[in-house]
Amino acid sequence: MTVTLWDTNGGEVVRALAAERRAGAMMASGLALTLVVTAAEKDVAAAEQAATIAAQAHPCRLVIVVRRQLDTADRLDAEVQVGGRLGPIEAVVMRMYGRLTLHPESVVLPLLAPDCPVLTWWHGPPPDEIATDPLGVLADRRVTDCALAPDPIAALRRRAEDFAPGDTDLAWTRTTPWRSLLASAFDALDLPPRAARVAAEAGNPSAALLAGWLSARLGVASACEDSAGPGITDVEVRLGEVEEGDATSEAGTSIRLSRPDGRLATFSRTGQPDRQLPLLRRPLGELLAEELRRLDADEVYAEALEAATGTSELSGRSPRRTLVWRDPALAAAAAH
Amino acid sequence: MFGVTGDLARKKLIPAVYDLGNRGLLPPGFVLLGFARRDWDHGDFEQLARTAAEEHARTEFREDVWRRIADSVRFVPGSFDDDNAFDQLARTLVELEDSHGIAGNAAFYLSIPPAAFPVVLKQLARTRMADGEQRGGWRRVVVEKPFGHDLQSSKELNRLVDSVFTPHDVFRIDHYLGKETVQNLLALRFANTLFEPVWNSNFVDSVQITMAEDVGIEGRAAFYDTAGAGRDVLQNHLLQLLALTAMEEPVSFDAESLRIEKRKVLTAISLPQDLAASTARGQYIQGWLAGERVRGYLDEEGIPPTSTTETYAAVRLGVETRRWAGVPFYLRTGKRLPRRVTEIAVVFKRAPHLPFSKTDTTELGNNQLVVRVQPDEGVTLRFGSKAPGSAMEIREVSMDFLYGSAFTESSPEAYERLLLDVLLGDKTLFPDHEEVEASWRVVDQLEQFWSTTAPEPYRAGEWGPKGADEMLARENRTWRRP
Repeated sequence: MTVTLWDTNGGEVVRALAAERRAGAMMASGLALTLVVTAAEKDVAAAEQAATIAAQAHPCRLVIVVRRQLDTADRLDAEVQVGGRLGPIEAVVMRMYGRLTLHPESVVLPLLAPDCPVLTWWHGPPPDEIATDPLGVLADRRVTDCALAPDPIAALRRRAEDFAPGDTDLAWTRTTPWRSLLASAFDALDLPPRAARVAAEAGNPSAALLAGWLSARLGVASACEDSAGPGITDVEVRLGEVEEGDATSEAGTSIRLSRPDGRLATFSRTGQPDRQLPLLRRPLGELLAEELRRLDADEVYAEALEAATGTSELSGRSPRRTLVWRDPALAAAAAH
Repeated sequence: MFGVTGDLARKKLIPAVYDLGNRGLLPPGFVLLGFARRDWDHGDFEQLARTAAEEHARTEFREDVWRRIADSVRFVPGSFDDDNAFDQLARTLVELEDSHGIAGNAAFYLSIPPAAFPVVLKQLARTRMADGEQRGGWRRVVVEKPFGHDLQSSKELNRLVDSVFTPHDVFRIDHYLGKETVQNLLALRFANTLFEPVWNSNFVDSVQITMAEDVGIEGRAAFYDTAGAGRDVLQNHLLQLLALTAMEEPVSFDAESLRIEKRKVLTAISLPQDLAASTARGQYIQGWLAGERVRGYLDEEGIPPTSTTETYAAVRLGVETRRWAGVPFYLRTGKRLPRRVTEIAVVFKRAPHLPFSKTDTTELGNNQLVVRVQPDEGVTLRFGSKAPGSAMEIREVSMDFLYGSAFTESSPEAYERLLLDVLLGDKTLFPDHEEVEASWRVVDQLEQFWSTTAPEPYRAGEWGPKGADEMLARENRTWRRP
């Protein structure tokens, strides 16, 4: 049940979706949110696959927007699917050309499920300023992925500067299994933490956020070290008070979680036998599904981001953004 | 039918006649007699009617059905001030009585601009066509909105129509009332036990009635610029929907009982003290809508560049009855909004106590019952539900009833139903002049206030001006995104 519309307009897309919903009305009920995905052409397949996995856990309307070249005639192509190749969900995949790429919301707004939260996910380098993207302004939750930026650590800093409650980043989502293992380890500890250390591939934004989380939650300094990867390879928290002038304190108690191969982690604690745990790097779809689970602002992420980037008061900002109009054509003209 | 070459006749009325014929609901002696200033014969009019039916009818176009209708299509050319033409019209009516066996029954559909009403009505009186007794049958007149442009003019219009026809024979069309879902609102409220007990200020927080259009003014510049959203939509459609939502249970479903209840509500409507804070008025400017660039209202053809006519209107009304004391009714309508949708949303109060932690219910809003009038006709119920997972996370879900899936027969077009009711003489779905006047009493006060203000600009493709959002924000509410 796929309808493909070439050189169409927003009204036609809305009608096609309504017609398809009527045809397959059984599955169309129970929408809880709209997932808006923006991706470049080369990443559409991966985005579709991830969104499909996520949508199976959280019934939603999926709207994928591909913004193609600006310097061409305005044009909209759309593919409407209800229970089609993307599984038992309703999805609209749209490709926009010309000046329309600057006004994607004119097509997306009427496609949003009535009065449901909207989550926008950028599968690609995060925008420098979310307020300049109409698809970010209309969303209640915004998910970026700093790992896909040319300079992930700089991108993370931009995310903090540009932050509004409701923003999260998949680099943060990737730390969830690490955080839950570490948090559960603290259940059985009575020694106060002293310092923390995270080792990862150079420029890994998840490592920066994990280190930020450790210092925000434990109130200790945490350091990031480069390793050969993949991803985060090692987390260590040293425990206990250091006595003044005690040369041996470096060898004090610690807990450590290391995962050199991206699959199996070893949990070690001074004085206890090592334990092996699966700690898989998760596919994109599972990460996205986790983000869809909670639609309120993630305050723990805000704290970790503050600590990782040296910013403060992120949660106190307004969750609403107002569109900042930026016309690339004018910017290009000004540059000449 | 006067004004057969107009948009309404071609897109709605003639197709509705065909649909009724196709469903076998036209009486055997039915004749469609067109009158317009065109140098046409019956054949030319039949061709226009045929094209209209082919293009706009809801049901499948069938040649044999059309041939039957085509036999009874007649045309009389002439202008409204041409006595000869009306004499000819009167003669044609008499001839048709004999040739088609109609017992003197005739309904006059005035699908014409209000300015032409007086002259046409005078002609009908002069030729005694409006007098049914003379021919031993009934004579009815169907009037389209606008029913005047304020209380005064609407009263004058009434006096005029009543002086020619008896009040009982005047049918004022508000096509929204012919829609299935509007009638279903009555079924929903009065045929069930589930909803009526909570349909009052003890449980209802507020009511939002929205009629949004994505189109602009579509060649109606001359009329629209003098009317605006307030007179064009708020005065009739929105207030009628409010009346049906808020009215008490009628003692029976006949026309009089229903109108008694609607009239009570309309006369109980109160305007807010501070009109500046509780109303919003907007005019669209250039923007992008549905993937295309559209021009602003002031750039539309035939609109003066200094026009202060509103294309968006929102207002907070109260209904001063025990049932609705303190419950705000938010009404809004606008052109060039993101999508075409009409709905009535009853927003319930939040549960008085939530035995969950605060973070569990941050995504839980108010329960809502939404009657979708168009499109996707149906009803939605929104309530909180636990999201699957190990944590207690409560999220809003919606339960949908969709007409298209629950009943396989497609809903008749509003005009089909209303035309049939005119022929049957059933006035249940037609507002009477007292309702119209009560509505004008509300809208006149608004218009009077608005005449001193300039409309706030909003971009085409947005959900109206900022002022409308702020108006609800002041009362800690937000507009539903339909």
